[in-house]
Amino acid sequence: MKLDIQNVSKKYNSNKYGLKEYTLNIENGILGLLGPNGAGKSTLLKMIATISKPSNGSILLNKNNVVKDPNYMRKQLGYLPQDFGVYPNLNAYEFLEYMAALKGIGGSQLKQRIAFLLEGLNLTEVAKKPIGNYSGGMKQRIGIAQALLNHPKILLFDEPTVGLDPEERVRFRNLISELANDCIVILSSHIVSDIDTIADQVAIMKEGRLLCQGNQKAIINNVKNKVYEITMNKEDTPNFIKQHIVLNTIRKKDTVTVRYISDTSIASAIPCEATLEDAYLYTTKK
Amino acid sequence: MKNFITIIKSDYLQRTRSYAFLITLCISLAVAYSFIPAPGASYSTIRIGDYLGFYNSSWIGYVTALMTSIFLSLVGFYLVNGTIKNDINSKVGQIIATTRVSNFGYLLSKTISNFLVLCTIAIIIFIMSIILFFLYNEGFSFEILQFITPYSIIVIPSLFFISVLAVLFEVFFIQKSILQNVLFFFLFSIMALSGSTDDTSKNFYLDAFGTKIITSQMEETVRSTVGQEDLGGLNIGFVLGNVSEANHFLFDGVDFPIGYILSRIGWIIFGILLLGLASLFFHRFKVKERFQLKSKKTLLQTKIDNDIDISILPKVALSFKILPLIKTEFILLVRSGYKWLWILNIAGMLGLCFAPLSIAHQMILPILWFLQVSRWSSLVTKERIFSTHFFTFASYQPLKRLLLSQVLSGILLALLLALPLLLRYMIQLDFMHITSIILGGIFIVSLAVLTGILTKGKKLFEILFFMITYANINAIPFTDYFGGLHHQYSYLGGIAILVVILLTISYSIRNIELKRI
Repeated sequence: MKLDIQNVSKKYNSNKYGLKEYTLNIENGILGLLGPNGAGKSTLLKMIATISKPSNGSILLNKNNVVKDPNYMRKQLGYLPQDFGVYPNLNAYEFLEYMAALKGIGGSQLKQRIAFLLEGLNLTEVAKKPIGNYSGGMKQRIGIAQALLNHPKILLFDEPTVGLDPEERVRFRNLISELANDCIVILSSHIVSDIDTIADQVAIMKEGRLLCQGNQKAIINNVKNKVYEITMNKEDTPNFIKQHIVLNTIRKKDTVTVRYISDTSIASAIPCEATLEDAYLYTTKK
Repeated sequence: MKNFITIIKSDYLQRTRSYAFLITLCISLAVAYSFIPAPGASYSTIRIGDYLGFYNSSWIGYVTALMTSIFLSLVGFYLVNGTIKNDINSKVGQIIATTRVSNFGYLLSKTISNFLVLCTIAIIIFIMSIILFFLYNEGFSFEILQFITPYSIIVIPSLFFISVLAVLFEVFFIQKSILQNVLFFFLFSIMALSGSTDDTSKNFYLDAFGTKIITSQMEETVRSTVGQEDLGGLNIGFVLGNVSEANHFLFDGVDFPIGYILSRIGWIIFGILLLGLASLFFHRFKVKERFQLKSKKTLLQTKIDNDIDISILPKVALSFKILPLIKTEFILLVRSGYKWLWILNIAGMLGLCFAPLSIAHQMILPILWFLQVSRWSSLVTKERIFSTHFFTFASYQPLKRLLLSQVLSGILLALLLALPLLLRYMIQLDFMHITSIILGGIFIVSLAVLTGILTKGKKLFEILFFMITYANINAIPFTDYFGGLHHQYSYLGGIAILVVILLTISYSIRNIELKRI
């Protein structure tokens, strides 16, 4: 599987772009899309999912232009949108059967696949109850189940861990790792911890543009030997924040410990090991 | 006060800055145009026996004001109803609940916003009436007061009272939109019929729509012109007939008694008092709490407690059948709305079994179908209402498979409900009526599909369907979409062509929509 995004733009009006001249190549594995709100992550995923058309550029899946032939993508797509809804009067079985019909899949094993998915997502017990009664996290799991219904070759997850508790997040990350063995998974989030443990590749976006892309190590290398921690009085903090790229602050009784990025070291500053979060904040703030 | 005006302004702008409202204005223009039939048209809107008014300022001003009062009271309720529900659904209500705005202040602002929306339409009709005067000019002088007076005294209080009713229904029948629609239908019928045969000043004062004093004055003018007591009755609505043979009389407007004008102000004050009363019962957006207390539904909760092994997932095959889609679309149709509505549906179907054929066909069938208004209006709009369009639009061939299955499931529901009547006609081998009912079902579903795709909302279809049903019950032949009054194959051919046009436009627009997303 190979996905080529070539010079794609989404223009809303003469001045406003959702995405601008975006180019990215992805092969089997997990790509983590990181970026602040409004970076264009959802816009990109919608265009790959064929529910939004680029104003310019092309999206090729195995050399097939899915902008012109969206059904080629749709046949092998699993997509979990950020703000999706469900029909509250249907139960989980009925909803997933409906989704399967929409995706053009069926056969004798469909019911069994739905049952397995519901079992795996611990929804069997409530599968015959209307989805309208489900909690937010359970609806999110229904969304995950529908994305996996058709044995997808390309999986798009837009902020997938919203509504899941910490333990469920871990389980979900394990699931994605397993899925990525034979397909492309693109995972968008503004929470770095959702991505740093599983993504093979990371793309950092801001204001519709791709700022950098590469494996985690290469991205972290951008801030290697530049991350420091310093403890100072509360009164000195505002001035320090103005002059540096600050990643994090921890307040104590009289002092503040500041994690920051700088090309040069200060006498009392302690060098720290850089993380993906440091690299992300550095890339989007600079 | 400034905050109060800001709430009204924001609400008004939010509701009028929509494509659906633009379409509503266009339809209002078309309806306004039809209020004054063109010379030579084969219908009349107000006719006293064999008499029609000359097209002077008074006639055009008063007739359009009268028709506006009735038309906007009827459809205006459906148009503005739902404003509190929107605040509930958008969660804006929860923010409002935490502000200092009082219940009465909130309800009054909603009423005024409703009123302004209706007034916007009334202004469009008012301007159209003046254009019509000059378009059909029969040599009479233009008198602006003959336009302003009836609109000020008749239309404005009516619209305010309807705006109040829309808010009251929302307060007392929280989120029960079907019940609100059905109850208003009956309330309107009662209000329209009350005192219709008794032209006393007391009845004029009690007439919420304010139209009876005008019709009474028109009848009086004809009486004094022709010196005849029995004029043959007053007809209001779209009455088909040979208009060219009608006699004409000169109508000079109405000298409204001061007591009557005060009674119109009284209706506005009465409306405000009702709002004050309703504010004592207003839920202030604690809807969820109330619902949960009343229902035994509990929020279910489970969590993922094991890793998912995807290697054991059975493989699935490709299948492009649309039968599963039709099945689920039909389930969604059947389950939407309230369960008690099915009691009415079953009662209606029993009526179709046992009532005399003409009543079953002309009265029960259109009402039974109208009860499904909420189901059909959500047929192609539910994706956006429930935010499932991310799934459906990314599905395999959404146009050919999904749209088709939605249309077919809608038709299936229509025919299922009409089944007893179809069987009765089948026993009689009356294939014309069978065809007309099937075509009627297809027509109304096609209309729901087109209006839903055009506006991306439910309202336009609900209003149109309400108007059509009201006209059907009053045996207006023009709106007979199910062959209740027409028994010719040529008429059915016309309906069939209309269906093809509606579905073709729907298909084309959805196709464009999917390409432009």
